[in-house]
Amino acid sequence: MRLKEIQRTAHPAWSPAPHHPICLALGTSAQQLDASFNTTAALEIFQVDFADPSLGMKLKGSLPTSNRLHSLVWVNFGAGEDGLGGRLIGGSDNGTVTVYSPEAIVTSGAEAIIGQSDKHTGPVRALDFNPFQSNLLASGANDSEIYIWDLNNFSNPMTPGTKSQPPEDISVVSWNRQVQHILASANPSGKAVVWDLRKNEPIIKISDHSNRMHCSGMLWHPEVATQLVLASEDDRMPVIQMWDLRFATSPLKVLENHTRGLLSIAWSQADPELLLSSAKDNRILCWNPNTGEVIYELPTTNQWCFDIQWCPRNPALLSAASFDGWISVYSVMGGSLEAQQQSRADQISSSFDTMDPFGTGQVLPPLQVPQPTPQTTLVAPLKKPPKWVRRPVGASFAFGGKLITFESPKAPVQSPQPVPVPRQVFVSQVTTETELLQRSRELQAALQSGSLSDYCQAKIHKAPTDSEQDIWRFLLVNFEDEARVKFLRLLGFSKEDLERKISTCLGKNLQPNGHGVDANDLAEKIQLLSTQVSPGTNLFILLYAPVVLDADGLISQALLVGNFEGAVDLCLNEGRYAEAILLAISGGQELLQKTQQTYLDEQRNSISMLISSVVTQNWGDIVQSCALDNWKEALAALLTYAHPKEFAHLCETLGSRLEGERTEKRCLQACLCYICSGNIEKLVECWALQRDCSSPLVLEDLVEKMMVLRKSVERLRNSEVAVQSPILADKLTHYAGLLASQGSLATALSYLPDTSDQVNTTSHSSSDTLSTRTCFKRVIVLQRPRVFSLLDRVQTCILICKYYSVTCQTLLQTGLDVTCLSPVCSGFSPLQPFQPQQQPMSAGLGGPGLSAFPPGPAMPGSSLSGPPLPPFSAPGGLPTMPSPGPPPSGFTPTSLPSGPMAHLQVPPLVRTHPWDLGTHKEVLEPRPSSPSLLRRLLLLLQVLTMMQFMCCFPNPMPTSNPCVSLQLLQALPAERVEQREIPTEHMVLKQTFDSLVQRCQLAAQDPQTKRKLEDASKRLGYLYDKLREQTLSNNILGGLHEISRCVAGQNYQRGLEVHTAVVTSSNFSEIQAFMPILKVVMTIANKLGV
Amino acid sequence: MVSVINTVDTSHEDMIHDAQMDYYGTRLATCSSDRSVKIFDVKNGGQILVADLRGHEGPVWQVAWAHPMYGNILASCSYDRKVIIWKEENGTWDKMYEYTGHDSSVNSVCWGPYDFGLILACGSSDGAISLVTCSGDQQWDIKKISNAHTIGCNAVSWAPSVVPGSLIDQPSGQKPNFIKRFVSGGCDNLVKLWKEEDGQWKEDQKLEAHSDWVRDVGWAPSIGLPTSTIASCSQDGRVFIWTCDDPSGNTWTAKLLHKFNDVVWHVSWSVTGNILAVSGGDNKLTHCSQAVIENKNLF
Repeated sequence: MRLKEIQRTAHPAWSPAPHHPICLALGTSAQQLDASFNTTAALEIFQVDFADPSLGMKLKGSLPTSNRLHSLVWVNFGAGEDGLGGRLIGGSDNGTVTVYSPEAIVTSGAEAIIGQSDKHTGPVRALDFNPFQSNLLASGANDSEIYIWDLNNFSNPMTPGTKSQPPEDISVVSWNRQVQHILASANPSGKAVVWDLRKNEPIIKISDHSNRMHCSGMLWHPEVATQLVLASEDDRMPVIQMWDLRFATSPLKVLENHTRGLLSIAWSQADPELLLSSAKDNRILCWNPNTGEVIYELPTTNQWCFDIQWCPRNPALLSAASFDGWISVYSVMGGSLEAQQQSRADQISSSFDTMDPFGTGQVLPPLQVPQPTPQTTLVAPLKKPPKWVRRPVGASFAFGGKLITFESPKAPVQSPQPVPVPRQVFVSQVTTETELLQRSRELQAALQSGSLSDYCQAKIHKAPTDSEQDIWRFLLVNFEDEARVKFLRLLGFSKEDLERKISTCLGKNLQPNGHGVDANDLAEKIQLLSTQVSPGTNLFILLYAPVVLDADGLISQALLVGNFEGAVDLCLNEGRYAEAILLAISGGQELLQKTQQTYLDEQRNSISMLISSVVTQNWGDIVQSCALDNWKEALAALLTYAHPKEFAHLCETLGSRLEGERTEKRCLQACLCYICSGNIEKLVECWALQRDCSSPLVLEDLVEKMMVLRKSVERLRNSEVAVQSPILADKLTHYAGLLASQGSLATALSYLPDTSDQVNTTSHSSSDTLSTRTCFKRVIVLQRPRVFSLLDRVQTCILICKYYSVTCQTLLQTGLDVTCLSPVCSGFSPLQPFQPQQQPMSAGLGGPGLSAFPPGPAMPGSSLSGPPLPPFSAPGGLPTMPSPGPPPSGFTPTSLPSGPMAHLQVPPLVRTHPWDLGTHKEVLEPRPSSPSLLRRLLLLLQVLTMMQFMCCFPNPMPTSNPCVSLQLLQALPAERVEQREIPTEHMVLKQTFDSLVQRCQLAAQDPQTKRKLEDASKRLGYLYDKLREQTLSNNILGGLHEISRCVAGQNYQRGLEVHTAVVTSSNFSEIQAFMPILKVVMTIANKLGV
Repeated sequence: MVSVINTVDTSHEDMIHDAQMDYYGTRLATCSSDRSVKIFDVKNGGQILVADLRGHEGPVWQVAWAHPMYGNILASCSYDRKVIIWKEENGTWDKMYEYTGHDSSVNSVCWGPYDFGLILACGSSDGAISLVTCSGDQQWDIKKISNAHTIGCNAVSWAPSVVPGSLIDQPSGQKPNFIKRFVSGGCDNLVKLWKEEDGQWKEDQKLEAHSDWVRDVGWAPSIGLPTSTIASCSQDGRVFIWTCDDPSGNTWTAKLLHKFNDVVWHVSWSVTGNILAVSGGDNKLTHCSQAVIENKNLF
């Protein structure tokens, strides 16, 4: 396809490869005249700008020259760092070789001629520069004259050896592309001579026996050092001969297709399989010289093209100079010619008008210019794509930190037959965060083995900073007994130390009064400590101060008469508080309180505050108002005194105050408070406040703490702690993403917040108050789509890897339905905000004994909110109801509506039976709307749809009308009530599988397995549903019975085999809700040996 | 650290030009000069030939998996000027659509983010970029940007649909107005950004830094940070990282990541967007970690 053209009768020369942008130098040709008969000569430089779609080229500089040229080359020698500049060398008609500076031509034109020599006697037709040393230039002229020029020392050329005899014109010189001291020359008689410049003599002569070769071109093979081609100008022998010097008696190959003599040839340096030739038959052909095949014919004008050249920089481009005075730039990549190209004939004709050289006033008759075809629409590219577009290598990332790479094995260049090479693609695991992975493994090991104390110990040892060490110490304490005492010690308050100090201070031997916390006793100790910590406050010892009875008459009298009240008032009035209090103690409880109050009201120092709090048990004030520098003391006081019920709250209040300061130190201290209170969420928030958790290791730091604290809280509560807050979910998701990207998929999955809701059956232990707030919360943490897709990806990836021949298509189809639902929600009437519904702790469900519920199918339906439920077929030992959330593994709603659905937290759906939607009704009442509500509704709908999907309702949910679908959803429970029984012939399945799960649950030790089994009970419910609906195919049923028999016989291995067979032979969508879990259960059973 | 975990012998009879894993990393699609596209099941380190897709009449340059929510769909582009979209139905792969609107080799195909539907961008040596959208059941809608890159477009890559900065500034409620954007690289040495406005594709930005053909471009996946990042590599051996912190998307800064001695063929971002794999003429792979990329902020 023609890209550029210009009307010049000139020899073109491309700028060297490093030169950017690409330029084309044009030197007026000798022995050619155009229609203007202009005899001036010039050297012009044009920029070839492809951003400009027009055919024109931009003239950058022009230099009038005295001689017309036979040859022109542009060498890189002398070019700047940027590749610009270089040298232009022209060989002229009269034997002059001139060196120009292209830069000078472009800039000013002054001093553009750098060197000139007239060593040659005749026209210099041949010029070539050495590809290895661009300062070396060979030229050839009449009389067998060949000179080798050094551009560093231009005046003194050397000869390659003695002139060959008889003297002949040199039509072409060419440097070998592989061996730098080898030069070849050829002359019109058809002989070619190869010179060795080190020996300074010709080493081989090539001559065709027919003697009809008239060499117009000669080129060395770009890659094979011993091969060259010769082109013949003779019309009787219009061929290209390919010679190999290793067999120099006859040509290796003869390329025949042209019908008249060749004028020019050009061999692509970028692809040795592309050899261009132009001939007097007006054609420009592109050959594959290795096969001798013509692979392309350029759509050219009907003109002889005397010079053809590949562009050194852009391998797809070539220039062609024709005798009709046009120089064109073509691309071999094809394309469509737009109508942009103006008619050439018009241009030419109009140019004659202005240049009437003879002054005759007569317009010259138009030159025989070929008329361009009116609409050249399509120009085909090369038949075979050139080497430079054939991408040989590639590396692409895939999910899970995998890298897919391939390369093209180097085929032996000279082998005539293509050798079959293995075409391989490599799948590699890329791990960049080795430390992260190492640490994540350690954490994972600790979490699984439960040896968290050791883990914390190790962390303490490795902690780089004191504050880090502190945090780990605090975390460690959570795993020990008497945590509060140990927290105190960590804060620097050791009981024993205190007692010793007090005794020293008082000068008497105080007996430790056992372990019971006596308020007064401790108050004193704390008080003492405070004075030590903050010197300058008054030393005021409440009870043990030496008491000297004052002789004041009044008091004595009052005492004597037993008027304690009066005496106390007197003492207070006098400022003798000690006496007052002492007396008040004797005066009864009421008086004592009153006195305490009066005293405390009057005292305004820091200790009194503390005393006040100790006495009145009001710790809220302390945490609200203590100076933040005294946080340690405040925390210590909380640890000592605060009622377990308030403790966590108070710690958090203190923590929030510290956090509020926003300094790093305070935040660390706040973190310690949160650790004491066991508030993971706050800990994470606070930690993240001061650190950018986007870096993997910082995140790892956080996750380690988060998980360890979570474990300790779980240990205290004896149950799992769900990830509830968006920030936790966010961090964990990010962390999981990191792990997944490093290929650690299974671990990543364990960290991903469940999209399913989690039911916390928190044991209500009286010793632990932390649990009360999180009871019965079912939280669905739905993250942004990114998160969703991550979970989706991880799960599905693992799933797919587990099951062969499985297609997710059906699942995804269902996922699509969910999407269809989403947009219609925007048309919904406004809705009431969802309030987390705090379920009162109902009897039976929240009790401590729940996790140890006796195996049995009965669910205490009465304890559930909402309408009575149909008998639910939960397998034995199932402590929780199947919840609307958890999709069967593999089904994940990939198709959440787009957009950053940031931190979507579906309101905790109250503990309900999945089919009991009654409780949702109240939520769906119209109320003023906000977009976030819509989003929530949307999510709710999705959850419902998921439920519908999972429960395999017989009626597919209509998606066309939102109202209808909603109504339907609400109507669904009723439908479920008429639940059919499992057909008797299949009851055996339920019995076998339930009992298997039960056995496993009894034998299972680690929490992970327990969790899986819990899940199993849930998911097997889907199987039973299917059985009830009688929707399973016979094949699956047969398989299930077979599995059941294997399970009954405890032959799990066989069971698994059958399982695989069933999975591979069935429709995945039909079985995906329960088959995976069946496998899990059997695997567990096999492991446990039950 | 890169460790080979699986070697897939593709049995292609000629040079392999592209190899891409599906969304879940369990299936591998390869294409070759032997005119075929092959799909392998590579889960668990195995290798099972799932499909050998014949239909192209020239070397196949690239393959691209569509998002799985649309099913198992693969697009391939070839020197034969065709783009073929293949789909798996009931375990069999078949042609779903064949696009023949280009006049020269189609060098690159890339599926848009799934939020935009099933939309494919194709870059061709004829200089045009086509956007092929599935507008329904077997209905395909074509938009063509003519002369997007003079003398040829080599690569296209979509911008993620996540709005830059969404992680930080939570858009309150209303769905942000997503703009379809992609980047292309071509033989005019330019990297160009395109965006759709009122259903029309317009040139948004023209990024100049390369001094030779831009061989590949890659828009980094977004994790919601405010910066948009693009990698481009070129015949000139240079790999540039382009970043834009500006919410309007108008100010792009280039940072030279590396200058290789040979042509750089391909860039690929990791799923998390923090590692870039660069494949060059010598097939030496280079990874630049996030650390390197972060340095650009100083730039």
